[in-house]
Formats: sequence, C-alpha cells, structure tokens
Amino acid sequence: MSEELHQRARRLIEKERVEGISAADQDWAASHISECATCAAFARKTDAAVRGLRGMAIPFPKDLASRTQFRVQLRAQELREREPGRRWMWAACAMSWALGLASAPYVWEIFQWIGEKTGAPKLVLQLGFGLWWTIPALLVAAVVMMESTRRDQESSWMRGQ
Amino acid sequence: MSASTLTLVAERAIYLSSVQDTEDRKAIARGLRERDPELLDFLIETYKFRLFRYLLYITANKERAEDFFQETWIRVLERGHQYDGKSKFEGWLFAIARHLVIDWQRQKKMQSLDSLMEPEQGAPLELVNESEPSPLSQVLSQEQETAMQSSLGQIAAIYREVLVLRFQEEMRIEEIAAVMSTPASTVKSRLYRGLEALRTALPEGIA
Repeated sequence: MSEELHQRARRLIEKERVEGISAADQDWAASHISECATCAAFARKTDAAVRGLRGMAIPFPKDLASRTQFRVQLRAQELREREPGRRWMWAACAMSWALGLASAPYVWEIFQWIGEKTGAPKLVLQLGFGLWWTIPALLVAAVVMMESTRRDQESSWMRGQ
Repeated sequence: MSASTLTLVAERAIYLSSVQDTEDRKAIARGLRERDPELLDFLIETYKFRLFRYLLYITANKERAEDFFQETWIRVLERGHQYDGKSKFEGWLFAIARHLVIDWQRQKKMQSLDSLMEPEQGAPLELVNESEPSPLSQVLSQEQETAMQSSLGQIAAIYREVLVLRFQEEMRIEEIAAVMSTPASTVKSRLYRGLEALRTALPEGIA
C-alpha cells in the first residue's frame, strides 16, 4: 500500500474526530483500517486520546460556588447602592448641557459686553467662551476616569499573585 | 410512520429545541441586565463545573483557576448588559474568563496565551488531586488517568484550551472561534496539532 493512502487514512481519522467526515470517507477509512495494522493503531491511539479527554474528571473545589455567590451578591448590592448616585450625576450633566445650550446666546452677549468694557481682543473672548463650554465636560470626564480607576484598583487583588 | 414523517418530526423537534434555547438565552440576557440575584446564583450553580474545568486547563493551576472563577462571575454581574442573548451564554462566559486570563498574562509581561506555545515555557498542568474518587477512576485505572493528566501537562496551554472546548465542552469549531476571537481555520489547526501532541505524549500502553 502506498504512503499516500496511509496519509489519507490518518488525515480522515483525525478529521472524523475533529470536524466530521462524509459517509463515503468513513467507509473508505474503515476499509483501509481493517487492512492496515499501523493505521488501525493510529486510530486506536487517537480514540484513546479523545476518550481520555472526554472522561477526565476534575473535582470541583468545596465551597467555591457558595463563596462566589456570596461575593457576587455583595458586589450586586454595592452596585445597586451606587446606582441612584450615578443616575443623579448623569441627570445633572444632562441638565447642565441643556441649560448651557439654551443660554449660549446670552452668555456670548455677556462675553461681548465684557469685551467692550475691558477692550479684550476677540480671540480671548472666544477662548473664554470655549472654556465656558468645555470645563463642565472636562470635569465629567475626570469623574468618569476616577470611577474607572477605582474599579480597576478593586480587582487588583488578582494581580498580586 | 414513513421516513418523511419521521424527518418532519425530527425537524420540528430541532426547531422547538432551538426556540427553547433562544427563549432561555433571552431570559438570561434580561436577567443579567436587571442583575437578578436568583438568576446569577442559578448560572453559577449550572456552569460551575464547566467554567472551573476550562479555567484549570488554561491556567494550569488550581488556586489561580479558583480566583479567575470568582472574578469571571463578578465580570458577568458588571458587564451582564453586554450579553445580547443572540449567542450561547457559555460561549460569552468562556470568552470573559479567557480575556481575564489573557489580561493577567499580559500584566505578567506576556503577550497572550500564545506565549505558552512551548510546553517548557508554560506551567505544568496541576490538575486537582483531592481525596474524592473521580467517576473516571471507576472506568479507567488510576494509572491511565494519571498518564492522561501527565500527557496533558506536556501540551502547550493553547492546545489544551481548544481540546477542552472541543472534546469536553463539545463546542462546534465556530463557537470555539467566537470564544477565542480567532478564525475557525486557526482553531482547526490548533485542534489537529493538539491532538497530535496529545497522541505523542500518551504512553504506549494507552490505546
């Protein structure tokens, strides 16, 4: 028997276990295995490997599930307690943004009035107006970043291993 | 009953089962969005063996697997709203666990699980060895089980991972690819290499 036939049989033996093969290929492989002791041994060893993997029993550590359930419940409670605060923060942000938008023309008029009184260049006025808009957004970004840093620190127990 | 009727009945059964699955997945997604404590307890209880086994295979260390087990469920609680119920829950769960392990590996100056390609670079597989007799030991001899554990310990973590997902979790190749965020072709090639490595590592007497 040629080496090519053996290689084909071995490819089919593995493929059958990994992804499955057609009925025709199954018949061909079975017929080859019945005539070839080496490929039959290959098939037996592949089956032993798969069977061994499927049969591997790993005992589950005692109390791990209950410890995990306890930790998850504690964290859930913590998140629930924090939820109203966060909702208020976002509501305040939304309100501030809406008021900022509505009052923009009046604010610009105030800036212009200050400019007329002080004689400040228009660029400075525009910069001031820009900051008037960006500072609240920057503050919110800082709060969100602080929140995320705090959350990272909470799970740093894992890195200490 | 004719063959065509049987086919129709089988197709109907498969359809009903998939509808059930979809309904279950939607219920899980809804419960996770609401952070339903009873659902979380139920999920931990349901998936505990499978998740722990997967973590043990990819971390090769019992204590670490226990830590990642807890952390995975905390993530499930925190990021539950991201599960849309369109895919299987276990795939999403394993993907979270996998990312946690990879993040930890990266923090230890490693790039990913791929850095455990060479068996000698990876930690040896420390499977749990507790006093309770495993169901397998009732079927196979203790010697064979030890041989299998030792053979698995000689295989790189990336191969152990696909082998456990395919042959223990019975996941389809596409599902494994989704868990690992890699193309199906990569999963297949790792499966073939893993199987070859395991076959080579198995002692002669095991067949």
